[in-house]
Amino acid sequence: MEFGFTTAAYVVAAILFILSLGGLSGQESAKRAVWYGIAGMALAVAATLIGPGSGLWLLSIILIAGGGVIGYQLATKVQMTQMPELVAAMHSLVGLAAVLVGLIAHFEISRVTSLMASGFDGSEFATFGALIAKKTAVELNILRVELFLGIFIGAVTFTGSVIAYGKLAGRVNSAAAKLPGGHMLNAGAAILSALCLIWYFNTGGFFPLFLMTLAALFIGYHLIMGIGGADMPVVVSMLNSYSGWAAAAIGFSLGNDLLIVVGALVGSSGAILSYIMCKAMNRSFVSVILGGFGGPAGEQMAIDGEQIAIDSDGVATALNEADSVIIIPGYGMAVAQAQSAVAELTRKLRAAGKEVRFAIHPVAGRLPGHMNVLLAEAKVPYDIVMEMDEINDDFPSTDVAIVIGSNDIVNPAAQDDPNSPIAGMPVLECWKAKQVFVSKRGQGTGYSGIENPLFFKENTRMFYGDAKKSLDELLPKIN
Amino acid sequence: MKIGAPKEVFEGEARVAMTPASAKDLQKLGHSCVIETGAGMLAGFSDAAYKEAGVEVVKTAAALFKAAEVIVKVRPPTETEVKRLTEGQTVISFFYPGQNEKLMAAANAKGASVIAMDMVPRISRAQKMDALSSMANIAGYRAVIEAGNNFGRFFTGQVTAAGKVPPAKVLVVGAGVAGLAAIGTSTSLGAITYAFDVRPEVAEQIESMGAEFVFLEFDDSELPDGAATGGYAPPSSPEFQAKQLAKFREIAPDMDIVITTALIPGRPAPKLWTKDMVEMMKPGSVVVDLAAERGGNCDLTVMDEKIVTDNGVTIIGYTDFPSRMAAQSSTLYSNNIRHMLADLTPEKDGVIDHNMEDDVIRGATVTHKNEITFPPPPPKVQAIAVQAKKEKPKELTPEEKRAQDVAAFKKETRNQVALLSVGAVLLLAVGLVAPASFMQHFIVFVLAVFVGFQVIWGVAHSLHTPLMAVTNAISSIIILGALTQIGSGSALVVILAALAVFMTGINIFGGFLVTRRMLAMFQKS
Repeated sequence: MEFGFTTAAYVVAAILFILSLGGLSGQESAKRAVWYGIAGMALAVAATLIGPGSGLWLLSIILIAGGGVIGYQLATKVQMTQMPELVAAMHSLVGLAAVLVGLIAHFEISRVTSLMASGFDGSEFATFGALIAKKTAVELNILRVELFLGIFIGAVTFTGSVIAYGKLAGRVNSAAAKLPGGHMLNAGAAILSALCLIWYFNTGGFFPLFLMTLAALFIGYHLIMGIGGADMPVVVSMLNSYSGWAAAAIGFSLGNDLLIVVGALVGSSGAILSYIMCKAMNRSFVSVILGGFGGPAGEQMAIDGEQIAIDSDGVATALNEADSVIIIPGYGMAVAQAQSAVAELTRKLRAAGKEVRFAIHPVAGRLPGHMNVLLAEAKVPYDIVMEMDEINDDFPSTDVAIVIGSNDIVNPAAQDDPNSPIAGMPVLECWKAKQVFVSKRGQGTGYSGIENPLFFKENTRMFYGDAKKSLDELLPKIN
Repeated sequence: MKIGAPKEVFEGEARVAMTPASAKDLQKLGHSCVIETGAGMLAGFSDAAYKEAGVEVVKTAAALFKAAEVIVKVRPPTETEVKRLTEGQTVISFFYPGQNEKLMAAANAKGASVIAMDMVPRISRAQKMDALSSMANIAGYRAVIEAGNNFGRFFTGQVTAAGKVPPAKVLVVGAGVAGLAAIGTSTSLGAITYAFDVRPEVAEQIESMGAEFVFLEFDDSELPDGAATGGYAPPSSPEFQAKQLAKFREIAPDMDIVITTALIPGRPAPKLWTKDMVEMMKPGSVVVDLAAERGGNCDLTVMDEKIVTDNGVTIIGYTDFPSRMAAQSSTLYSNNIRHMLADLTPEKDGVIDHNMEDDVIRGATVTHKNEITFPPPPPKVQAIAVQAKKEKPKELTPEEKRAQDVAAFKKETRNQVALLSVGAVLLLAVGLVAPASFMQHFIVFVLAVFVGFQVIWGVAHSLHTPLMAVTNAISSIIILGALTQIGSGSALVVILAALAVFMTGINIFGGFLVTRRMLAMFQKS
């Protein structure tokens, strides 16, 4: 009876979770969708507390509440520009939790099997122990494989997320770095893990499990260290996916369908996001994961011409004369915290009756949809924020395009130069606008380290300086 | 060297090839200057002004030809003038060597060098001596003024106490230098200006001058590339011409002023504004034909005359627009001449070095050292960068499209079927070895993955960050695992489980709150 109730609650929770993800198809329905998610989670936790996991529930509630307080602090204090770091950090928690739960399952298995061997009949074990007690030898072996996988994925997620967090927060150098040996080290660690799996499968001892955990932690660390800053959107969504698969694997070992369902949902969601990001960069998933842009295939086109600088007066004049403006924000805007200045500029221009729109490249920023969130924070209405495919055809009829802190996503070499490392990547064709202003800190190249011919085009003017400072200087001159 | 400018003998020509200002600059190059008395009178430069600038004034043309080693002129020299030339003398003027072969031969026979200002190659370096452009600029401006002079209404639209005035509509055909100058003048007077050119690449220039490009639907692959012919529009195909005329007929009744500038050097002017178009125009309208010298773009143009048709349309066929603004055109032309002489005197020591290796000088020279050097070889520098031929995706016929669709559909079906069968086989294979309890969970897993794929594709791109935050929050569902284990077993298990519960607790609250915060920010305008 009790178990039946829990299962029913799980079914409802699973449906709520599915609805909560599905609701994200639109801004308005999304606001409702979060509540579905919260309700589903509350229901699942409550049902588990009442049902199978009824031991020590006072401690459980205190711990959840304590975690809740910290979570609340984090969520309310975090700046929107720090979103990527936060998400990465939280992934690491899920990864670590998966490792812990997997280890617990292992201890339980060895405890129960040894007790069973010494003559208990299994009736005195609570919940999970009871479940194990009923299993046959084959089922136990499968259980071992499952929890082994859960720990492996969880450990990779954990260190990977920690490194991703470090890179996004600027605490670890964001350039791609590899230990000598490169992918051979990863492959070695993976082979070691596979050997441990066989060993563990045969003996059920703790040592192979421990060894594998170390190897997996190393893989997570080394894999993400080797991926450059520009690929972070893919990395974060990939880790998201991993944390889901880890939960699903643990769900298998615990025989918990809700864990399996949610883990699979999260896993596939992260996988699809990664796929979308890779497609937006025209790169295969494997090449992103293995790190870094490949070397150029041949001689890259030389760029002639020079970068012509312009001051805020010039930009202001052009903006005052323009009828239609498209703004292309990038990671530079996030770094300079310039989103509210951009929003202010938008308001002023719109008040003057000009058409202002935003063009968002799928991989702008360090997180899928990063720019949308920043602009939303600065109260830019979402109906003027366009995706690349929606707006790319409109550039030729646009008077002024303003590029704020983006580089590779507006690089015409992707279309013109077949030898460019980013050749074939879909880009925002801002150079087709009558005039382009590029707000940029200096003459450096983007994360991919490629020269951008856009900066040398005849209709491009460089508006050097910190994005926020430049915009603040520009704002009073717009009438 | 002594540089001399005779009085122009061509009837009605008011320009002069040397002004007091240009004479001063020539003296800085080490030359001395001489001018025939009264040469600058019609352009507004008196003999006194020349004297003041240090120019020697001589009484007759004959005396001038004797005194000067370099003769600068506007119009091509007449036969009498050619007869006066002597061995080694240089003439710089418009010459049109293609049409004046006899004259060229005569000058050559005299042993004189002739530099034709109209033959200056159209490369960037030579722009300062491009007299055709500077004269065309004036002609374009003057054409609008001339049209306004004969047009009984305002150019600009006005709403006055005495009534409303509609703006004039001006069509400029041919957007070369003259056409663009006409567009600029006409828009600055306030007229609504339309412009047409066979070269689609000039649409941008037309629009930059404030006119509207009259767009012609035509397959561009056949369109000529202006860069190959030194910036001039090459002749177009009959089909294109037919389309073009049809378009003109469509807009002719609306136009108040038509200025035609379509002219390719050395060719008869194309007929673009036919008799029936003139008949369609409103009484009082004006047609200015800048190509009158070569037969005119308009059927009814009479060279050097202004006529009024039966339906009251004025057609102006003057050929002397620059001469009608002699002060301006003399200033610009004499500057072009001065730049040419500056290139001929590289050392600025008053000694002319007729360097036939120089692209510009070589191109403009038609006779030199008893040799006819026309036509010149093509310049070493390409005048205008050749436009890269744009590759246009091939328009597919409906059948091809259908075939493609069918093929794509078939391919998709094949892929899907293959994927499904591989998946099914794998599932069956797993089912063969795995125990039933595992299979139960496995089915749930596969279905959940499937649902996830279906659902996530629908998520809006702008909501990807909230999606990550939500999935992050719900992946803390792993808390269930910790919760079921926390109560069972040893102290180690309790500690580990408690840790897991605590961390996922952070995640649940943090994830959902952050998502809510983000979503609350999205708002409509």
